[in-house]
Amino acid sequence: MDRERLTEFLRRRMPDAEHLQVLELKRISGGSSRETYSFDLEWRERGETHRRPLIGRRDPTGGLLKSEREREFKVIEAMHRAGLRVPQALFLELDHSVMDRPFFLMHRAAGRTGKGAVPASESAELREKMAHQLLDELVGIQSLDYRALGLGFLGEPRDLAEPARLQTSHWTEIYHRDRMGEHYPLLDATFAWLAANPVVADRITLVHGDFRSGNYLYDDEGLIAMLDWEMTHLGDPIEDLAWATMMFWGRQEFAGGLIEREAFYRLYEQKSEHPIDRARLRFYQVLGNAKMAVICLTGIRDFIEGRTTDSEMPFLKVLLPALFQDIASQLRLV
Amino acid sequence: MLRPTLKELLTALQGTVQQMLLPELTSPYVQGQAMYLIGMLMHAADSIERERLYNEGEVRDLYLTIRALKRLEQSHLKRGSGDLKKSLSRGVKAAAALERREMEATLSAFVTALALGKLDAALSKVVKGWLRRHLARQSEFLGNNVPS
Repeated sequence: MDRERLTEFLRRRMPDAEHLQVLELKRISGGSSRETYSFDLEWRERGETHRRPLIGRRDPTGGLLKSEREREFKVIEAMHRAGLRVPQALFLELDHSVMDRPFFLMHRAAGRTGKGAVPASESAELREKMAHQLLDELVGIQSLDYRALGLGFLGEPRDLAEPARLQTSHWTEIYHRDRMGEHYPLLDATFAWLAANPVVADRITLVHGDFRSGNYLYDDEGLIAMLDWEMTHLGDPIEDLAWATMMFWGRQEFAGGLIEREAFYRLYEQKSEHPIDRARLRFYQVLGNAKMAVICLTGIRDFIEGRTTDSEMPFLKVLLPALFQDIASQLRLV
Repeated sequence: MLRPTLKELLTALQGTVQQMLLPELTSPYVQGQAMYLIGMLMHAADSIERERLYNEGEVRDLYLTIRALKRLEQSHLKRGSGDLKKSLSRGVKAAAALERREMEATLSAFVTALALGKLDAALSKVVKGWLRRHLARQSEFLGNNVPS
């Protein structure tokens, strides 16, 4: 993002602001599916000086996911309105002429995060507290009236069987698009198994789509904000629980590095008042591993074909064996 | 032999990035990118010889597995397994020419049949054996990494 163009954009959007300045603009890692920038905005209004920490998220030239900026912006806006722990979304710009590609700006929450499971170096008390907070957040997402929040545009499934079918066909399609003509026998088999063994949801809720450690900010007091809402859709609530508790995120005896996996499931059942259907959980964990493998293939393809120069992309190859091992175990193929 | 070898070149480049470029970088994002670059150069230097052995191991195992499946075809591939028979036939031709992609397509068809419970015990044993060895080779070559 260019500082001058960003400043100009903000001046247009904030006509009452005087002496508006973009400070400490820098690209940061995280949210690998798009370019993420951090900066402070300073301005004067009605005789007072204001300073606000912001994040800019711009469409990448290539990368892990093909998602729509407008969709993500509207979801974050709605989640903030609903009182969930989400940074406030501020401005969306879809006109390519402003900053070459669509982008949006949101409040920057403080806190820390990692790529995978919460590390063992965090205290057991904090990890347990976050397990509660995270599940409160998940149950909160699943309890929202998505129609009332104006999120019907996410595409309401026609029946309870459609979420599994839609997710399977969606990721199968991306797999066939991005495998570059190669055969991955285990992935071919997995998508065939998913198509042959669909599960039926017990209800339709909002699904974050990437609900896991690494996608939330926390500090010593606990959970601060959920991030990365670009894969949000309407579907089976078990999908988020399955994704959050995949072995792949590391520290395998724990759910996302927080508490033991079975304790996490019991806590979810208590908080949601919905028993976990283990067959659905297994289906969505198999799908989750396959989806993560496909996301890696997309990044690798974009790197090979020159749509991105992000040097993290070719590194994704080394993540595939762990995903394949988990799938083979889950489908009892070895 | 012409020096530097590819392995020496990649190792030296990794040192250049680590010792000369990285200390000059001030942006945390670009530092992160440089770290990934160093990681990939290390992986590439380490893989030059191992990748050839890995690929040879894969091709040899595909070839032997397809031959083993062919031997079981008459007695163990049931009627109604027309697609599998066709896939095996293509795999046998590919094995003769050591065409990896087509051999992998054949194994894809058989692993899919295994996942869907369509293979008998004898065929399942052959396919499971291949899958175990295939996954073990991948893990040995690339490691068993998770996000960190």
